[in-house]
Amino acid sequence: MTQFLALLLRNRLAAAGGIVLLVVVVLAVLTPVLPLANPDATDTANRFQPALSRAHLLGTDHLGRDLLSRLLWGTRLSLAVGFAAAIFAATLGAAIGIIAGYFGGRTDNLIMRGVDMLMAFPYILLALAIVAALGPGLGNALIAVAAVNIPFFARNIRGVTVGLAHKEFVDAARLSGLGHGRIILTEILPNVVPVIVIAMSTTIGWMILETAGLSFLGLGSQPPQADLGSMLGEARSALITNPLTSIVPGAMILVIVMGINLLGDGVRDALDPRLRSGALTRPMPATRVDRPTPPPAETEEGGAVLALSDLQTQFHVKKRVYKAVGGASLAVRPGECLGIIGESGSGKSVTALSVMGLVASPPGVITAGAARYDGQDLIGARYETLRRLRGDRIAYIFQDPLATLHPLYKVGDQLVEAIRCHRTVSKAEAWQRAIDLLKQVRIPNAESRASSFPHEMSGGMRQRVGIAMAMANDPDVIIADEPTTALDVTVQAQILSLLNDLRRERGLAIVFITHDFGVVGQLCDRIAVMYAGRIVEQGPTEAILTTPAHPYTRRLIACVPELGEGRRKLEAIPGLPPAVDRLDPGCAFAPRCEKARAACLTGEIALAGSGQRAVRCLFPETEIPSEQSA
Amino acid sequence: MTGYILKRLLSAIPVLLGITVIVFLIMALIPGDPALAILGSYATPENVAKLNRDLGLDAPLVARYFIWLGNMLQGDFGQSFALNRPVLDEVLERFSATLLLAGVSFVLCAVLGIAAGVISAARQYGMADKAITFVVLLGISIPSFFLGMMMILIFAVDLRWFPVSGMKMAYGGGGFVDVARHLVMPALALSVVATGVVARLSRGAMLEVLRQDYIRTARAKGVGEGRVIWGHALRSAMVSIIPVLGIQAGFVLSGAVYIEMVFQWPGVGRMLVDAILKRDILLVQGGVVFVAACYVLFNIAVDVAQSLLDPRIKT
Amino acid sequence: MTQGFRNWTRRGVLATGVAMSLALGAMSPAAAQTPPGVLIIGQIAEPKALDPAAVTAVNDFRILMNVYDGLVRYKSGTLEVEPALATDWDISEDGTVYTFHLREGVKFHDGSDFDAEAVKFNFDRMLKEDHPFHDTGPFPLAFFFSSVEEVSVVDPMTVEFTLNAPYAPFLSNLAYPTGLIVSPAAVEQSGGDFGRNPSGTGPFRFAEWKSNEHVILNANPDYWDGAPASETLVFRPITDANTRTAEMLAGGIDLMVEVPPVALSEFEGDRYKVFEQAGPHVWFLILNAKEGPFADKRVRQAANYAVDKTALVDNVLEGTAEVAAGPTPPAFAWAYNEDLEPYPYDPEKARTLLGEAGNEHPEVTFFVTEGGSGMLDPIAMGTAIQADLKAVGFDVKIETYEWNTFLGEVNPGLEGKADMAEMAWMTNDPDTLPYLALRSDAWPDKGGFNSGYYSNAEVDTLLEEARVATDQDERARLYKKMQTIVQEDAPWLFVANWKQNAVASEAVENFALEPSFFLLLKDVAKN
Repeated sequence: MTQFLALLLRNRLAAAGGIVLLVVVVLAVLTPVLPLANPDATDTANRFQPALSRAHLLGTDHLGRDLLSRLLWGTRLSLAVGFAAAIFAATLGAAIGIIAGYFGGRTDNLIMRGVDMLMAFPYILLALAIVAALGPGLGNALIAVAAVNIPFFARNIRGVTVGLAHKEFVDAARLSGLGHGRIILTEILPNVVPVIVIAMSTTIGWMILETAGLSFLGLGSQPPQADLGSMLGEARSALITNPLTSIVPGAMILVIVMGINLLGDGVRDALDPRLRSGALTRPMPATRVDRPTPPPAETEEGGAVLALSDLQTQFHVKKRVYKAVGGASLAVRPGECLGIIGESGSGKSVTALSVMGLVASPPGVITAGAARYDGQDLIGARYETLRRLRGDRIAYIFQDPLATLHPLYKVGDQLVEAIRCHRTVSKAEAWQRAIDLLKQVRIPNAESRASSFPHEMSGGMRQRVGIAMAMANDPDVIIADEPTTALDVTVQAQILSLLNDLRRERGLAIVFITHDFGVVGQLCDRIAVMYAGRIVEQGPTEAILTTPAHPYTRRLIACVPELGEGRRKLEAIPGLPPAVDRLDPGCAFAPRCEKARAACLTGEIALAGSGQRAVRCLFPETEIPSEQSA
Repeated sequence: MTGYILKRLLSAIPVLLGITVIVFLIMALIPGDPALAILGSYATPENVAKLNRDLGLDAPLVARYFIWLGNMLQGDFGQSFALNRPVLDEVLERFSATLLLAGVSFVLCAVLGIAAGVISAARQYGMADKAITFVVLLGISIPSFFLGMMMILIFAVDLRWFPVSGMKMAYGGGGFVDVARHLVMPALALSVVATGVVARLSRGAMLEVLRQDYIRTARAKGVGEGRVIWGHALRSAMVSIIPVLGIQAGFVLSGAVYIEMVFQWPGVGRMLVDAILKRDILLVQGGVVFVAACYVLFNIAVDVAQSLLDPRIKT
Repeated sequence: MTQGFRNWTRRGVLATGVAMSLALGAMSPAAAQTPPGVLIIGQIAEPKALDPAAVTAVNDFRILMNVYDGLVRYKSGTLEVEPALATDWDISEDGTVYTFHLREGVKFHDGSDFDAEAVKFNFDRMLKEDHPFHDTGPFPLAFFFSSVEEVSVVDPMTVEFTLNAPYAPFLSNLAYPTGLIVSPAAVEQSGGDFGRNPSGTGPFRFAEWKSNEHVILNANPDYWDGAPASETLVFRPITDANTRTAEMLAGGIDLMVEVPPVALSEFEGDRYKVFEQAGPHVWFLILNAKEGPFADKRVRQAANYAVDKTALVDNVLEGTAEVAAGPTPPAFAWAYNEDLEPYPYDPEKARTLLGEAGNEHPEVTFFVTEGGSGMLDPIAMGTAIQADLKAVGFDVKIETYEWNTFLGEVNPGLEGKADMAEMAWMTNDPDTLPYLALRSDAWPDKGGFNSGYYSNAEVDTLLEEARVATDQDERARLYKKMQTIVQEDAPWLFVANWKQNAVASEAVENFALEPSFFLLLKDVAKN
């Protein structure tokens, strides 16, 4: 609850709406004790007094009644009716929805058909008919407004209840012999309440508008009592000569409903767990770059088609800074395959995505370093430059192709698009090329498969499509981010050999990101091991696999099941990777390291080594000739 | 697909039958008499009773219902008591006016709402987003009849840009330009709330979609940002926007009642309100059934559009 | 100050709206002026039908009077009868036989001839249940002619009405829209749809009726009384008074009737002409004399003293009405009792009377309507009356109803439902209202409109006598006496006599309002 309030208040708009609403509500509550004129006392000789006139702050209406007083009394009435209608509709609607959703079957069918009917009935006419049947009066208008909103609640709540009715805890309650009533009250209702609250917060403003509408039509409050709607309705005939009497109640309705809507949005955001994490932000076209320090000079490491130097990428979430990549330097040459390995959260994917500015931003920010393609720094490059290179020279293959392929486009079209983004070719040509690509990645029946949607294909097929897409423009570099993780072993092997063939045939450079040493061995020439956003060890695949220098690498390799060894000797690493928003100085792995000593936790530890090998450890498993490496 | 449409059409029949029962019962239960509307101030209880006999309103309820339903199935909606003309003629004439108003408003709310939502999402937290969010908030908070009244005051009376009311000029009107000029204010006033709702929803849907991996894939392919937003993302977002459009169509149709009153638009909403007040039973019943049928059909069309858009939906 | 604020608020709203409209490419300022020769009239509602025998509302009469003629009509500016389709007439000594000599050479718009047969057809259709076209009704005002026993054709140009008893208002009723003559040929052709396909002999011919858009009439160049000055009349129903005013200000209509009192100030200046004409209208509250507090005459009188009628007519109605003294409006000059003074506004006296009645805080239910024929500004008036009554000790609960529902509640009588109800009547003869609404034999259960159950044997006698008296002076004496008694008995709370108003643009010429509340547009021209 406190968390909820805190979240609500943090949302400045919601807070503003809440305050406005609070002021209005307080005024409405205090109305009877405020020193106001009698709202019903007519003084026809002093009608339509302007605002700020003597004794009438907002002037008077068509019968000379004090407008301010009427406004506050009207507000009181409108608020009361709006809230009452919302509660009424929510309670009944929720009850109906829960019953339909919980019992399902015929009950559900019958109730929902009824709800459908009511929803197909123009709601104002339904409300009108109800008022016509019950007679005019604010109470009856309230009933009408509430009644026409019941279907809305019923439908919403039913949807949620259906989802809950088959959850384990409900089944458990049922098995333990609880009655339906008890289950609904103790198991279902608590879980539905947030949804009811959200639905109410979004409809209450609407209810006030609708009640005002009915009053406007003269079906609401009875004179001399007036809610805001009937004030507006009565003032309408004088709109042209005395707009003030219309504008005052109109503006009040606007203020109240705006306040409610703002607050309602806030409530929804605070109650919706997905939004609570602040995740509902959209990534910008390219990662934000905020590099206070000039990028490091180009290293002399010759022949690299893609070289990262001291790349740092952070996530700024509210006041916290997560250093996802804390300075990564890597290089890959044409025809070479570089593996980046690490546990999830080690920053390997972020490193890879940073290259082309594909880290979601917000919250991602690239804060330092350079990523050079053919000597050209991509960090901070113009969007158009990046776009031209994306998919054309440097292509990505992503994990989980079900999520990474657009679900509503045919795969052929998605390939065609990849081609036509960079080449001006006719659609037909591009389609032919797409089929060729599908054939290259060994998709059977490529011609017909091109017309399939992603959900119609198997995981392996989709991954091949992903590879075909990356290949579409014959790129120089492919960055493959765990492309085989979601696949079973046979398919995985096929994909790996496919990639291997491609790099041999075309001499493309591959950056292969994985958490699996088993995969690395089959494909990669060199490996970089990442931990907590930094490279802790790098070197030729063979060397690292046989003689890992960093304790972390060693432990990681130990996790890999050896083929043909029957029972594998699995040795999980105790503890969890550190949170990258509060990294202590020194070795990030130290807390989990058996060999950690006091020295490990003091100060920066450099990546040290010679030639191809380098390690970031004071007490490596294998001594590596000490020589500074970038 | 044909089978699916057919199935949906069949499932609409019980809903429509239910609506005939509801509207019939409501009209039967409302106190008051159609005879009063016909006889006016000079209605005496005696005359009223006689007229009710003449109108066949003294028959048993169930019999009246089935007579009405039977006639309607043969295309005979009966005769309006108050207007003295066939219900169907009146409903068709008035519905076409509403269709024009609500249709244009609906297109406005869909186009403007989606565009605003998309821009807002694409420029999240930017100036455009803030401006749109504010305007949208204003839009969903203002009573449409109040907005309409203010529009008349400013744009018709003071500035004389648009005609005050009606659908065409009283004399010699009816041309395209004429009707369009009459349409501007009511259509805008009517679409404001729905536009706001659609914009808010579209923004949310777009934000949701833009976080999806396939958007990153599109960007990684080098697809231009315009196409990413208006193509890839919007297409997916439409999957959740379209059902809301269906619901908004209902709101626009209902909201038309107020707008038709304020702008004297000769539409079916005003006709039904008048008819309810005058207890013009057959006109109310026929009108409501007609409107509801259109609404149900429209929603079927929405579902069909949905399934055409999203191949994952089983039809 | 008011003006200043108004401009200020407008400018404020304007600024927010202008940008939006500009973005939408607002079209050039409207050339809203309609062509000369075409007169566009803002009506207060959609007509119910264009069959004069079938309608009751003044709103419909305004159209009908331009399409049809009666045997007689009211002389311009008066309520006196003059020849129309009948050139002259004879009345038998005993006042029961009226012989009309018809105008030669008059044709209906559909080309058929106007003759004695046509007149007979019209009245038989209304009055004889066995007439083949009686089912084109109902004819709610047929009782205007309930004294007619037989209509007979003497020769093609002479028709004779035989009454079952002398009936003084007969000629006046013939001039009322219910007496307008329709084309028998057109009724035979259209049957029940005649109300939408009208044909008469009047100065304008029906051209088109589009629901809730307009009724268009075209000039009848062959009109027997001279060709009309305008080519076309367009009647636009604009139910919302505010929208109607806006249309007038924006030039969308040339002439509007029933200008809302608050809007009158908008039409000051040269661009508009404002018209005003008192007519036979009474606005009153029916008091339930059968039960509840108003069963006591003193409480009824107290209510009459308690309400500040002057404030009502001057302020709420902006001077568009006069304070009513009794049941008969001054527009019936010959029958109006000049000596009658309205109940003065005297709250003290009201309190005293309530004290005498032993009911210092009577609780009353008050039926108010939202609008309706001749009801002026019923909600505002009802609210103001409620406040005045409250000031002297009444506890008034208002219930508002839409007009038709309201009639459905009020006409069958207030018993068991309410203690008072708003009502207004516009009539053509001093007989009509009191005869229908004040006699003991006019209680709702006897088919009348005496919804407050007032009963005074002397009044009953006076009214019966006045009805059969053929001498106008004698009738006047009886009516005047009746007014004195009724005022004293206070079965109603007498409030106002309306002066109907209209606004025309400066281009409209020769327009005048009639005391009959009709809208006669034959000679009205628009430049």
